[in-house]
Amino acid sequence: MTPAACLKRAAGIFFWERLIHAVGPAMNPIQVEDLAVSYRTRSGVVEALRGVSFSVEEGGVVGFLGPNGAGKTTTLNVLLGFEEPTSGRARLYGCDSTSSIARRRVGFMCEHSRTHPFLTGRELLVMAGRLFGMRGSALRRAADSLLERVGLSGAADRRTGTYSRGMLQRMGLAQALINDPDLVILDEPTSGLDPVGRARVRELIAGLRSEGKTVFFSSHELSEVELVCDRVLMLVAGHIAASGSVDELVRDGESLERYFLKLAAERGGEGGVS
Amino acid sequence: MTRPLVLCHAVWLEVFRRRDFYVLLILMTAMFAWLLSADLFGSSAASRYVLDVGLLYAWGGSLILAVTAAARQLPRDEEIGAVFMMLAKPVTRWDMVFGKWLGTWSVSVGATVALYLAVLAVSALRGRMPDAVSVCQALLLHGCALGVVSALALAISTRMSFGAASTTAFVLLAADYAVVPKIPELIGGETGLRADLLLLLYKGLPHLEVFDLRRRLIHGWGAAPASAILISVAYGVAVTGALLALAWLGYRKKRFPRQGG
Repeated sequence: MTPAACLKRAAGIFFWERLIHAVGPAMNPIQVEDLAVSYRTRSGVVEALRGVSFSVEEGGVVGFLGPNGAGKTTTLNVLLGFEEPTSGRARLYGCDSTSSIARRRVGFMCEHSRTHPFLTGRELLVMAGRLFGMRGSALRRAADSLLERVGLSGAADRRTGTYSRGMLQRMGLAQALINDPDLVILDEPTSGLDPVGRARVRELIAGLRSEGKTVFFSSHELSEVELVCDRVLMLVAGHIAASGSVDELVRDGESLERYFLKLAAERGGEGGVS
Repeated sequence: MTRPLVLCHAVWLEVFRRRDFYVLLILMTAMFAWLLSADLFGSSAASRYVLDVGLLYAWGGSLILAVTAAARQLPRDEEIGAVFMMLAKPVTRWDMVFGKWLGTWSVSVGATVALYLAVLAVSALRGRMPDAVSVCQALLLHGCALGVVSALALAISTRMSFGAASTTAFVLLAADYAVVPKIPELIGGETGLRADLLLLLYKGLPHLEVFDLRRRLIHGWGAAPASAILISVAYGVAVTGALLALAWLGYRKKRFPRQGG
């Protein structure tokens, strides 16, 4: 890229992304077009994603399914700007996902939520809020309310290094919601949780839906997906293999699990990418 | 600018809540207790010796703190997975690099000021007090050295684990202190390509010796000319900026391994 093109691109991102951000509600929360990601390894080039395209509209809960190695985590990594695609583009509310502005209206919870063990739960939420530019009593109120909502008020002043797995997952969810995001991206939110913990996360997701938020979550827990999702996207071997509501995808008497297994067998389940 | 400050605050909390910081503090206390009680040779030179040892300790302690704290920040965030929580916010990679550097630099400068105050207090009790201007100049340049050192450790840590990055940074620092000031002597006996390479090394490597004013304090030579101090500060800022740019280049496209589907 020439220096002039670099400057043009930088200026474009700076002004255009801000403008788009201001008029964001008209844009889809997630727009992915012809996304491809490949890695060079010692044994050759591995294609993690091959021309993935989909969009997620405002409101509702969308499940992002796929077997291990299908490319779910890679897709989320691109959506959140953790890595750049080899080709294609991903946009959040119209902003290129590589721009930090794109993440202003987004909350993200990582699988196996882990964070700075030296911070207390409350300090962690305050820090997360400050990274979104929140300040003062509004931030303190938001942190207290979220601690209450995820059931961690009693442990708010304990260091997160002493939290159990379930508490860390809930804290992960709380920090994802500190900026009152319009789009919440959850990566395996119920992974490793006991049945009580899972039910609690499901309740929280249902609560977000009733508030009109868009929830996009990746999972291979099909029963969870069936319970909470309005729409499902199925990724198999780096391709979107199916999309639609659970009712549309599953025929009478068939379960989502059965449909998924059939699809994975037809399209080749193991892509070998994490 | 606020996001780097938030990250800087997190570095302060991390350093103060780790046990190794308190090991340094206990060692410092033990050292000063010994300095205060020792009656070396029973002569007036003892007060100069106390200042010499105390300042050497202040330099050593602050450099260890700067290197270990800076080299730990980015690899530790990756190791525990906290980097995903941070980068999922409107935080750029530059914010991360600059915020971490600001945190480690400010914490090591804070520790250095405390160490200087302690050394000067012990020295004053021994009847020797360097002039205030010289002390401020020494502290200012010491702060510049810490900026360079923490940026160097941070730049190395973008591509290495904590252990490897801190070891490499310590080896480079030791080589820098021991070898770089001696290069002009080595060039004297060389010609051709070898001399050119040595000259390149001399000009390319950071000169930490320009920030070290300990001898002026110990021997009471008085304040250095303001122009020399200004040039040294400008040099420190330039080298720190170059190393931070290097750290950003190493970090901006970095992929972080994340297990999943």
